[in-house]
Amino acid sequence: MKFQIPIGPQHPALKEPISLRMTVEGEIIRDADLRLGYNHRGLEKLAEQKTWIQNIYLTERICGICSHSHTTCYVQGVEKLMELEPPRRGLYIRTLVAELERVHSHLLWLGVAGHEAGFDSFFMYTWRDREIVMDILETISGNRVHYGINTIGGVRRDLDEQQVKHILDSLAILRQRSEYYQHLGTNEPSFVARLAGVGYLSREDAIALCAVGPTLRASGVPMDVRKDDPYAVYAEVPFEVCTADTCDVLGRTVVRIKELFQCYNIIEYLLKNLPSGPVAVRAPRRAKPNEVVSRYEAPRGENIHYIKSNGTDKPERLKVRAPTLGNYAATLKMLKNGFIADVPLIFAAIDPCICCAERAVSLVDARSGQEKIISMNALKQLSRQVAAGNARKREAEWPL
Amino acid sequence: MKIGAFIPELLRHLFKKPATVDYPFQKLEVPRDFRGSPFLRPELCIVCRACERDCPAEAIEITATNEAEKRFRMVIHNDRCIHCAQCVDSCPTDAMQMDTRFEISDYDRHNLKMEWEYIRAVVKPKSEPKTS
Repeated sequence: MKFQIPIGPQHPALKEPISLRMTVEGEIIRDADLRLGYNHRGLEKLAEQKTWIQNIYLTERICGICSHSHTTCYVQGVEKLMELEPPRRGLYIRTLVAELERVHSHLLWLGVAGHEAGFDSFFMYTWRDREIVMDILETISGNRVHYGINTIGGVRRDLDEQQVKHILDSLAILRQRSEYYQHLGTNEPSFVARLAGVGYLSREDAIALCAVGPTLRASGVPMDVRKDDPYAVYAEVPFEVCTADTCDVLGRTVVRIKELFQCYNIIEYLLKNLPSGPVAVRAPRRAKPNEVVSRYEAPRGENIHYIKSNGTDKPERLKVRAPTLGNYAATLKMLKNGFIADVPLIFAAIDPCICCAERAVSLVDARSGQEKIISMNALKQLSRQVAAGNARKREAEWPL
Repeated sequence: MKIGAFIPELLRHLFKKPATVDYPFQKLEVPRDFRGSPFLRPELCIVCRACERDCPAEAIEITATNEAEKRFRMVIHNDRCIHCAQCVDSCPTDAMQMDTRFEISDYDRHNLKMEWEYIRAVVKPKSEPKTS
């Protein structure tokens, strides 16, 4: 006997609207389907009406947690279009903020994993310690969430000695706390038992379904844009790509904790080798007609921006591929043959940011279940046809 | 494996101060470069309109009230402002500045509007605007 269970678009287990449809046999999920489009914001179209500078702040607002990753990805692309070479100090500060953001994102995720596994005290402790890194980001950039540190041709704010010292001091506390969480993650039997074996994704499936980020690395594939296609100053910073072989949610947790330590090493290296000089170069207002693809390793996975310019001060096209979109296919695979009770945990393990990944709207026929995408022109034509078919009633009376 | 590996940490925290502050009675200090609300120093504004052009939220509005007297009016719509401080970066004469207020909520969005009426300054810009 098979049943279909809908989860979402509004559901206590989900933080953002997405619709998951599960075909279940008893407690076991036999098939899973995903419906998107509840959170479409028309952001790419809006970007075409704003100038290069204004778009930095627009792309920043694609995501609240990985805001720096989207601006860096965009700004790198625009710098390539404008043939700018940002100064080395600017690139160092940009990378520093990127790594601090990774720390805060991974600590946040650890808390969420604890919460979904029913370990709420873990959630509260990690989020308390996340405040330390939020404070660092606030002192560097002047704000906690949207740092606004990037500008075309470098960064907007410089670091002074006092800030460097403050970051290094806070980093020592963070490192100590992360070591404790690592110890806890391997020694708390109930926590480990809840995560182990849940959401299995084999190495072959991970590659075939184009998983990205920690989800891919937890299946034993050492792939990281920072290593494979180094941007900013990653080519000269020593670090390792963290992987795990367990292919489950426990592996994804382990990868993120390991990455935390790599982040601390990178931040320390960047601060100790900070070159002197200017932080930004002057950018022109216009870009020559060209197109560029920019890649960036966000905390959640690979982030891709495609930018096309047409010689004016506005982009002709901006296409954003957020990492969550790359992980959806793999999530459906992970959900299959799992339990209903594991859905929130498996879904949270990809660190979903649904809002970031919403790009188009697909229309579904309610009766037949057929899906189709309608272009703006076709939609206009359809509305005209409907309007032409309806004779307008000029003096219609209210029936009651 | 040890049962209850987290318990020592939990017990230790029974005797620690809370991590939060008693907000309305006790306030945290904002950092030095905090991005609050933008404000204008009218004596420095040369009406180059760089801030109006670069504002991503279109929150700045400059209109001429009297062309002959070179009298201008600037309105900052703080209800639209996204506090990115791009206007401060774009300003060639440091006429735009950010304050450190963070408790700026109001019952009516029109109360958030800030206005200045002033005569155009003839200050020589220190440097070329960053984004000319």
